[in-house]
Amino acid sequence: MLNEHITRAFDRDLEAVQAMIMKMGGLVEAALSDAAKALETQDEALAEHVRQGDKAIDLLEESVNAECARLIALRAPIATDLRTVLTVMKIASSLERCGDYAKNLAKRALVLGTMSQIPGAAGSIRRMARQVGLLLKDALDAFVSRDAGLAAEVRLRDQEVDQMYNALFREFLTHMMEDTRNISACMHLHFIAKNIERVGDHATTIAEQVIYLATGSLPDEDRPKAELAGGNA
Amino acid sequence: MKDQRLETRVDTQTIKIEARKAQVYYGTNHAIKDVDVDIMDKTVTAFIGPSGCGKSTFLRCLNRMNDTIPSCRVEGSITLEGESIYDPRVDPVQLRARIGMVFQKPNPFPKSIYDNVAYGPKIHGLTRNKAELDAIVESCLRKAALWNEVKDRLQAPGTGLSGGQQQRLCIARAITTSPEVLLMDEPCSALDPIATAQVEELIDELRSQFSVVIVTHSMQQAARVSQRTAFFHLGNLVEFGETGQIFTNPKDPRTESYISGRIG
Repeated sequence: MLNEHITRAFDRDLEAVQAMIMKMGGLVEAALSDAAKALETQDEALAEHVRQGDKAIDLLEESVNAECARLIALRAPIATDLRTVLTVMKIASSLERCGDYAKNLAKRALVLGTMSQIPGAAGSIRRMARQVGLLLKDALDAFVSRDAGLAAEVRLRDQEVDQMYNALFREFLTHMMEDTRNISACMHLHFIAKNIERVGDHATTIAEQVIYLATGSLPDEDRPKAELAGGNA
Repeated sequence: MKDQRLETRVDTQTIKIEARKAQVYYGTNHAIKDVDVDIMDKTVTAFIGPSGCGKSTFLRCLNRMNDTIPSCRVEGSITLEGESIYDPRVDPVQLRARIGMVFQKPNPFPKSIYDNVAYGPKIHGLTRNKAELDAIVESCLRKAALWNEVKDRLQAPGTGLSGGQQQRLCIARAITTSPEVLLMDEPCSALDPIATAQVEELIDELRSQFSVVIVTHSMQQAARVSQRTAFFHLGNLVEFGETGQIFTNPKDPRTESYISGRIG
């Protein structure tokens, strides 16, 4: 780790903006896990709570951007400091999107409550959400500790999420083919699975940013991707 | 693609000044240790580093300004276009016509604006008549972005100009001999932000004609004007590279600490 700045206010500003990221990360992880739980347990109050909670995440992203603009204008960060500010802005934008996906999951959980149940689907979704939540947590831990190794691992582990998504895709397709009355519910469930898979991609983006922050360059080789089910995106 | 790039790349690969294992001693004090530097043609090279790190000393080696300090000794090789500048056959006065210098404080001669600029061509006998001299004075004042401000009072004393104008006058004076390299030792430290911006703009324009080496304490100035940056510390050249790389991803922790304002 680098020494402190001679101007200590600079360190305080950098710490403050990174603390906002950690707060955002905490909120997003909780929103994702709560939304998946609300889906499985059909807890309307919890789903509504997640929907309302997204505002706080959006506001935090705005604060991060405002603080970063201030930091750039007033402190003219360079080298690691500059990379920290750039990384923080990108992570904030990724987390904001993840928050939106969690909110969308909560919305669909409310809609799915009014439909016939697809056996086992909510449980699978929740397992997938848990897996992605862990990815997100590890990506943010890698950010805090500037751990390029852990970030590289997160990047590879996104593959498992892709596989879970592909398995769910096939499962929903089967349900839809078996009984057309399942189509509405399965479409919702598929969007949920796809959105959670997108959260995994954002975790990967965050991990890549951590690698940039720690080493000064983005990883260049394409990360392995699980085959897409049925050639579908 | 190339046209859309940010202006950070060095335009030429021609080496103008090459220093190898350069050493400078002040008496027994070893002020510059084993410095290897290539100064590219048509490129602005910035020297940065804390006070006393040797950057000004090294800059002054490049046109033998250190010759005037009796205790100073320079070793190693410094060449201009492949020819050693410390060769006994080299006349330092002629050398300084090829490698000009602008100092920290504007130091116009106590003469008219015109005579300040005409001085170099006169002593080097570069002109045959008044008309040619007038033309050089005008063209150099134009290049230094000063002409419009002084064309109606060329006979007024140079010392009567504002600080920023005086510094641009000194730059005009330094380029009258059509130097190949211009050395600038903190040329903006006594100037306000507007005059600084004018000098920086001027440096960028001059780059199309020759190479510029600038010593500066302002990290932002080094970042703004240079394409290559060298970081000196305790007489060593710690890191030398493309300016964008130095300021986004320095390789040496000492460079990082210094440019980002940390306790080293």
